[in-house]
Amino acid sequence: MKRYRKPIQYIVLFLVLLIGGYAVGHTLFASTAVLKTGDEPPAFKLLSLDGSVHDSAEYAGKPLIINFWGTFCPPCRDEMPALQNVYERWQDKGVQLVGINLSEDKLSVESFARQVGAHFPILLDRNRQTEKRFGLKQYPTTFFVYPNGKIEAILIGGPLTEEQIEAHIEKLVAGRS
Amino acid sequence: MFSNTKCECGHQNHAGTVLCESCGKPLTEEWAGNPETPLEMRYDGVARRSQKANPDLLDRVWNFFSSVKVAVWLIVLTLIGASLGTIYPQENTFLNLQTYQEFHDYYKEHYGTAGVVYHALGLSRVYSSWWFIGLLVMIGTSLVICSLDRVLPLYRALSKQQIRKHMQFISRQQVTYSGPEPVNKEAWLDSFGKELKRKRYKVWRDGDALMAEKNRFSRWGPYINHIGLIIFLLAVLGRNVPAWNMDQYVSLDEGETEQIPGTNYFVKNEKFTVEYYTDAELPPTLKGTERPKLFETKATLYVCTESCDDPSKDPVLSPVKTHDIRVNHPLSYKGLKLYQYDYTPKPKLVSVSPMLVDKKTGEQYGPFTLSMRNPALTYRAGPYTLTLKDKFMDFGLDDQGRPMTKSREPNAPAFVFIIQGPDLPETGETYIYFPQQIDKVKFRQDVLNKAIADKLDIRVPSMSGVVLSENTSTLNVRVDRAMPFIWTGAAIFMIGVAMGLYWHHRRIWLRFDDGVLSLGAHTNKNNYGLRMEVAAAMTKAGLPVSDKSLDNRRKSP
Amino acid sequence: MSLLDFSQKALLAALLIYSASFIFFMIAVGGKKWSNREPAAHSRRWGWTGFGFAAAGWAAHVTFFVTRWVAGGHIPTSNMYEFMTMLAMAIMLAFIVIYLIYKNALLGAFTLPLTVIIIAYASVFPSEIQPLIPSLNSNWLRVHVTTAALGEAFFAVGFAAALVQLLRVIDYKRTDKAGKRARRWMEVFLLVILMVIGFLLSVFSFRAAGYQAEFHQVITKEDDLGQQQTTERQVVYGLPPIVKPYSSDTVEIDSFLGMKKPLFAAPPWLKGVNAERKLNTILWSIISGLILYGLLRLIARKQLGAVIHPHLSDIDPDDLDEISYRSIAIGYPIFTLGGLIFAMIWAQIAWSRFWGWDPKEVWALITWLFYTAYLHLRLSRGWHGAKSAWLAVIGFLVVLFTLIGVNLVIAGLHSYAGVS
Repeated sequence: MKRYRKPIQYIVLFLVLLIGGYAVGHTLFASTAVLKTGDEPPAFKLLSLDGSVHDSAEYAGKPLIINFWGTFCPPCRDEMPALQNVYERWQDKGVQLVGINLSEDKLSVESFARQVGAHFPILLDRNRQTEKRFGLKQYPTTFFVYPNGKIEAILIGGPLTEEQIEAHIEKLVAGRS
Repeated sequence: MFSNTKCECGHQNHAGTVLCESCGKPLTEEWAGNPETPLEMRYDGVARRSQKANPDLLDRVWNFFSSVKVAVWLIVLTLIGASLGTIYPQENTFLNLQTYQEFHDYYKEHYGTAGVVYHALGLSRVYSSWWFIGLLVMIGTSLVICSLDRVLPLYRALSKQQIRKHMQFISRQQVTYSGPEPVNKEAWLDSFGKELKRKRYKVWRDGDALMAEKNRFSRWGPYINHIGLIIFLLAVLGRNVPAWNMDQYVSLDEGETEQIPGTNYFVKNEKFTVEYYTDAELPPTLKGTERPKLFETKATLYVCTESCDDPSKDPVLSPVKTHDIRVNHPLSYKGLKLYQYDYTPKPKLVSVSPMLVDKKTGEQYGPFTLSMRNPALTYRAGPYTLTLKDKFMDFGLDDQGRPMTKSREPNAPAFVFIIQGPDLPETGETYIYFPQQIDKVKFRQDVLNKAIADKLDIRVPSMSGVVLSENTSTLNVRVDRAMPFIWTGAAIFMIGVAMGLYWHHRRIWLRFDDGVLSLGAHTNKNNYGLRMEVAAAMTKAGLPVSDKSLDNRRKSP
Repeated sequence: MSLLDFSQKALLAALLIYSASFIFFMIAVGGKKWSNREPAAHSRRWGWTGFGFAAAGWAAHVTFFVTRWVAGGHIPTSNMYEFMTMLAMAIMLAFIVIYLIYKNALLGAFTLPLTVIIIAYASVFPSEIQPLIPSLNSNWLRVHVTTAALGEAFFAVGFAAALVQLLRVIDYKRTDKAGKRARRWMEVFLLVILMVIGFLLSVFSFRAAGYQAEFHQVITKEDDLGQQQTTERQVVYGLPPIVKPYSSDTVEIDSFLGMKKPLFAAPPWLKGVNAERKLNTILWSIISGLILYGLLRLIARKQLGAVIHPHLSDIDPDDLDEISYRSIAIGYPIFTLGGLIFAMIWAQIAWSRFWGWDPKEVWALITWLFYTAYLHLRLSRGWHGAKSAWLAVIGFLVVLFTLIGVNLVIAGLHSYAGVS
């Protein structure tokens, strides 16, 4: 019996450190539900207006801009031209810009996109699932993502100007190296 | 002190032993020096495992957690910490707040400076703080080490008890008797033993010494309940494993089906019912108040079988369970539980089935069903074809006078059709349709539609053509795979605690020396009951004694 | 007579029989030194009389409970009135069990007034039968509430025994610091009990007199947008207003001893449901308790503990220590099962989580941790006797805070209807 005393003590204390360390560590480093700069945005796989399926995995390695918008949100409408211009300017340079519509009918989204002249890829969220995973609270919200998949900035509210968007794209592109 | 661990009876004891493991003679000076006082019988006087001569660091840590005093301190600190968290509501009670700043503002607004201090000190999230969890971890550690340290020596001591105990051991128990030897010693011992056996004692004899014991198992109660608690605490920790735990909220209009995030399941709200007590059912002071009687979501749970991950196709669903979800009656399917959480009493239009009316002839065509969400794009009504060009859920005009929708909810739906047919141009006429009468008037549908308004009308003939969702039901979806372990831990704890507190370990020792009968008896709880039992057995065996006279505490001043 | 009326009468009968039982137990304890008596026989005879009455009272109490259950269609444990009367019933059950084991008349002399006070306190709350809201309509809840109350009832008996033990062991001849301190704490504790009695006396006398004061409160607050928001409400008091609600006007006020207007206004930081009225009630309790204490001190001309102490001289404190410990040891598993485990099962079904750190849950845990500490301390030397008795007394105060205080002070899921 005596022979095993030391090993038993070591094993018990080791387990305590392991399990207890995990428990306490969990409280210290628990990730909050809110996305913040430096996090990786959740993955998504959505249908776009043109009928193709977009998987966020395809954007890996590219600077990425994700703009959440709805037809019911005036600032969203107001920043559409800026997004479209930026898209035209950067699409050949490997920058990916997508708009994710906030779970509205395809009909409304199409008609709206036609009116405001938005031709960049617009993805259709369904039942607010993607929106929830991104933890959105206000619209529009724009995520700027480095090529390595980390969020550079989250801009809540709008309308954004072309200069604002460009400034962030510069950072994304610079961050590629 | 460690030189005299060998008892006069020849037994070699461990360091730290209070009473000789074999004959029970008091060994330490503290106890040997005061022959009057009743003995301390904790753990039968054996040394705890960790008590040793030269403790190193490991031993010191071990000894710290092995101490009951430390355990009590941990319990008291946890108790104080827990009470601090009840002063103001904890952060996790506010589902809509998330960031540090939002919480700071909330506490400032509602509780003033005290609230700011409370929040800044982290007391608004006590139960997930590192120090509170740390205390629980330390309690868990203490449970393991205290038990390990005591249960083995106690087991050893109880499994090899000597029948003839040292005279001091017997005379210094809480329950004692000393008197002249009965006339027929052997016969008296037999009948005394028989009486004890009748009371479910096990009786051993060694010459003219006797030992009787019952309910030894109750001594294991504390260790069993500690095992239960450890399982419980580990299970609580297991709830942190993401795959073991899910907590989602799904809001559903009536008739709506939605995917449960992160799963392959879909849930449909067939119908939501809320009932209130009628005035006749309410007592006088509550009459006229809305006292809810029932919240119920008739729900169907589906599992997706095909094209689940393909956004270009609608998922193929197959129903797996239908249940009326009420408060206290969740839907349960393979570890997934759906609870009635909340509801919003807000009527929403789901679909309308209007007719196309020729205003001149009064002829009606249709009906056709127009769904508020994802409606079909073309409709046939008699000779007319309606093509949906645009749709607004909550019609309004933006600051530049352009039509827009103000929200995603069908508060003021508007449908823009191109109608083609008799008497209409080839390219069709634009017709804007407001299903709700109030919007029709408010936005002046007839003025917007100009000339065509005189020819055609889209109209819902009766309420049967309107499908409404009266309420939005919010369900809480949970997966908690640690629960079986939680309940197992709790059950083991209860068994252990009942064993330890409802049964009492009782032992009686008896010996004769020079015509004197000496009896000592010990129990870990309920001396009163033991005295009664010993007195009754002795009296029945022919040696009448009163239970009070056996009380050793009363004898000592 | 409706079943509910009958039920109420049965409770009244129980209350009266308990009071009689209390008097008999008092005679059993206090009359031992009367002339021409053999103390043991006297104590035994009157003790059994008291016990007989207690058992009869309990039968009436059970009748109340059962008839109310039948009349209401659900077990009467769903609001403060029903819970408190049930708790009193549980305490009497615990008392009967412990009395049958130890046959100690003193226990009756201290448990019965406790029961009477709790029933009287229950009567402060509206006694009507309220139909259940959905979350309370659960069998697990019923099991949880009744089992928890039974566990707490054993703690209550343990408390009564500990109180007697303290009164017994406090030495009224000692003049050193420690002795004085113990006596002072005992007086403070007796004063608190008198305040509870004072609270009940004032509530019932003003209620019997039909007293009422009404205020109109207007509160103006600035909302997030910087706009002035005004809320108005009527506040009705059943006790003469020592403090009136903050920023309020008197609508009507019955005169009391020439007092025609409130003495003070409540401070603006006082928040919570009916906080001013609670503050007013607390002030009344304190004042009436102090008056009662003062009167009793004037009559007795010594510390109240010193009045009771001599009657306890022939009791063995070790017996009381054991009764107190035993009672708590019996109650602990029951409380764990009812107050925590059944509660967790119910919470899992009703609130989708077995534990949510709701204040009531936390306080149930605190109660449990407290008694856990108590049971562990009993293992150590030096924690028997007076120290452990103080713990049993404090433990029961924690129980009372969990049952009543949390509802009055902290709002949570468990907020009962009809808390005044």
